[in-house]
Amino acid sequence: MLAFITRRTLLAIPVLFGIMVVVFLLIRAIPGEPCSAILGEQATVEACERFNEANGLNDPIWVQLAIYIGNVLTFNLGESIQFSVPVSQLLIERLPLTIELAMSALIIAVVVGVPLGIIAARRHNTAIDAGTMAFANIGVSMPVFWLGLMLAYLFAVVLKDTPFALPPGGRLSAGVISVPYYVVWNWNLTEGSTWAGINEFVGNFVIFNSFITGQWSVWWDAVQHMILPAITLATIPMAIIARITRSSLLEAMNKDYIRTARSKGATETRVVSKHGLRNSLLPVVTIIGLQLGLLLGGAVLTETVFRLAGVGTALFDAITGRDYAVVQGFTVIIAAGYVVVNLLVDLSYGYLDPRIRVSK
Amino acid sequence: MRRNTAFLILLLAFALVVAACSDSEDSGTTTTTAAPDATTAAPDATTTTAAGSDTTAATTAPDAGFEGKAVANAAGCAEDYTGRVNTITAIDEFTVEFALCQPHPAFLEQIAFGVFGIQPEEHLEATSGAPLDNPIGTGPYSLQEWVRGDSIIYTRNDNYYGDVAPHATAVLNWATESSGRLIELQSGDSFGMTFPGPEDFATIEGDSNLELINKPEANIFYVGMTNTFEPFNNVDVRQAIAQGIDRQRIVDTFYPPGSEVASHFTPCSVEFGCEGESWYDFDVEAAKALLAGAGLADGFSTTIYYRDVTRGYLPTPGNVATDIQAQLLENLNIDAEVVVLESGEFIEQCSNVGECDGIHLLGWTGDYPHVTNFFDPHFGATVLQFGDPYPEIYEPLLTASTTTDPAVQGPAYEEANNAIKQLVPMVPVAHSASAFGALASVEGAYAPAWGQVLFNFWDNGTDTMVFTQGNEPISLYCSDETDGESLRACAQVVEALYGYEPDGTVKPQLATECAPNEEGSVWTCSLRQGVVFHDGSNFDANDVVASFAAGLDAASPLHTGNTGSWVYYEALWNGLMNAPAE
Repeated sequence: MLAFITRRTLLAIPVLFGIMVVVFLLIRAIPGEPCSAILGEQATVEACERFNEANGLNDPIWVQLAIYIGNVLTFNLGESIQFSVPVSQLLIERLPLTIELAMSALIIAVVVGVPLGIIAARRHNTAIDAGTMAFANIGVSMPVFWLGLMLAYLFAVVLKDTPFALPPGGRLSAGVISVPYYVVWNWNLTEGSTWAGINEFVGNFVIFNSFITGQWSVWWDAVQHMILPAITLATIPMAIIARITRSSLLEAMNKDYIRTARSKGATETRVVSKHGLRNSLLPVVTIIGLQLGLLLGGAVLTETVFRLAGVGTALFDAITGRDYAVVQGFTVIIAAGYVVVNLLVDLSYGYLDPRIRVSK
Repeated sequence: MRRNTAFLILLLAFALVVAACSDSEDSGTTTTTAAPDATTAAPDATTTTAAGSDTTAATTAPDAGFEGKAVANAAGCAEDYTGRVNTITAIDEFTVEFALCQPHPAFLEQIAFGVFGIQPEEHLEATSGAPLDNPIGTGPYSLQEWVRGDSIIYTRNDNYYGDVAPHATAVLNWATESSGRLIELQSGDSFGMTFPGPEDFATIEGDSNLELINKPEANIFYVGMTNTFEPFNNVDVRQAIAQGIDRQRIVDTFYPPGSEVASHFTPCSVEFGCEGESWYDFDVEAAKALLAGAGLADGFSTTIYYRDVTRGYLPTPGNVATDIQAQLLENLNIDAEVVVLESGEFIEQCSNVGECDGIHLLGWTGDYPHVTNFFDPHFGATVLQFGDPYPEIYEPLLTASTTTDPAVQGPAYEEANNAIKQLVPMVPVAHSASAFGALASVEGAYAPAWGQVLFNFWDNGTDTMVFTQGNEPISLYCSDETDGESLRACAQVVEALYGYEPDGTVKPQLATECAPNEEGSVWTCSLRQGVVFHDGSNFDANDVVASFAAGLDAASPLHTGNTGSWVYYEALWNGLMNAPAE
């Protein structure tokens, strides 16, 4: 197991390196200079010259690349040209929300999608099968931007002043602040230290933080604000998971061991859950892992509709603003996240399928 | 002690007389250099007030031990110094003198611009000239917290000398899409929003719970032509295009309600903006005759350049470009290819260096309510946007911009406007309208013509005021920012010497009065006394000097900022003091 993890981690290094170089070159291939994008229309040529000089943009491209790689190797992701804060600080602020949103969406997608797929497979070629698949596919067909706006309008405007009302956007209600756990518990953290950064990162998981510190009104406010964006974001993965579950379960239910289980007198529920579903989970888990990786990359449209300051909007703003350091830094982190998720998926195969465990 | 004081008073008076009598445009004049430790005398505590100044400010005797500071351009008003400002001096604790290199008729309008806000000298030093996320000001709110990516939370300043906010907390958040801001408003989570899209105007007007607040917008959209490329070097061709475009059709089709066809380059709400003749009427026959006279009766081929960037003056650039293309072909047989350039490239090529070989679509939104802010950046002697500058235009503009005498300004701007009409460097098309949205229940909701909306005037009947704008601020040190979202966020906390009334007239703010000398080249500002910054420190003249020095003096240790480019300081003051040699 350890050798497997080590091998996969080492293999990830050239992958990440390649991504770094490609992103570095691609962002600079986009027409337009950071100066005019950040300083605006009134920036003079002289102002741009000073700006480029101050930010190392006048250096040869290979020098910039070498500096960037050197910084990354020392865990320095650079500084945002636009906001003049370290990229790592932006990550600390933005990534927790994206992770919370992605996990919330994925939970909804799995909790709804897997049962839908099971129902469709069990009622194969019936109206229920067609209906459940149609329901799932409606989620794929609706544009996320439109769906999000419609949900926000329905729950925030139409259902305003009813028990079903939900906030239209933001992470918390205006003026509501989640006090980090290290403040609540009076931890002495040295400002600017790595340990302080780690705790700030964890503290920015608002739902988690408010839960463990007993800030129940904040927790409930955060949950309410997460419902609509999570549903919006979950519709596409839910449909994909439902379809994969259905097809994989159908395939498993046609195997000989299923007939054997039935002939031994197992109930249909036990046949499906213990024998059928478990043996059909490998492709489902694979898809779930891929979807999680996609979600962690940031959902720009959902974040835009619901005013969520996540990785997606940060990346979009950085690309349009030619904030090279942010684009490069965020992309590396997302790629690393993808690698970790895929590794976890691979490890789960061994848990799900004893044959894989034995062969390893 | 009394003898020393009297001597210093005499010395100060003598210095002021000498300064007033000297020729400020003499490039060989040696200026006083910064004297940070100079002891200044305490002038008579009785202040005299002039019309238009704030007469309600309490006055006390300035601190006799006050050590006034100053900042100066080392080379003074040398010939190669393009900047306006020679020195800024704290005469005493509550008096600041701005000595300029030439008269500045728009001085008050300009210093009221929010970029020139005042922060404590000590705070600027403590932050090394970069209080990016912790501004300290004198405004109706202090900054409580900037929750990055989510919102900015303000706390009411109960000691504010002006209109204290009716609510204890104000929250500024943002949603990039108009639909998102509108849903925030409709849900009641927000009490006001900026710039609803034209498609949302009817929704707001049709909802009795909402209010559409028209925002007088001082902007201009124009069709520029570069006279260094044929056939635009022929004035008949330019005049033909001026009369061959149905501007009313463009405004009716692509602009929100309330927008106007431009009669002049500058909106008429700006003084002197509409002196002279109104623009040509749409007259296809006259246009064709002009083209025929130029030997182009069969038309010609050209290019329309634009950038696909939404601005208040041009909400739908692609649609407008296509319509102009169609009109030129239909009316004048001019075959124009529409070319989209990336924004930075477009500004560089078409605006900065005038190398777009054809027609370009651009516009301008005024920074401060003075006609110089419209004319000078477009038609000045060094502006290349329309090709070779036109002396018939820039000479009267130079005359008008270097005098404070309206009897001279009026005729000069009339001459300039008539020359613009005659020479047609561009075709002014539209002054676009815009609006804010608000809950109908909010009292005092308004959308200012100039400056930024101040939340302390909005009374929503609750303890928390929420306002939604289009984007997150870039930083909260607005002296080094240019985007409206940052300026709006800063304006709640940091104030300038002057401010704007909702209709754009300037009003005293941290200064009770800034009075010019006879020619308008020296402005002496009397500061409001008893004002306390949010950190408890007292506001005095050295804070004004430090705040301006941070932006204007390239040699100042405080000249750091966010991007370090100080775009507005450089642009609006015509250059930085002590700029490094090229």
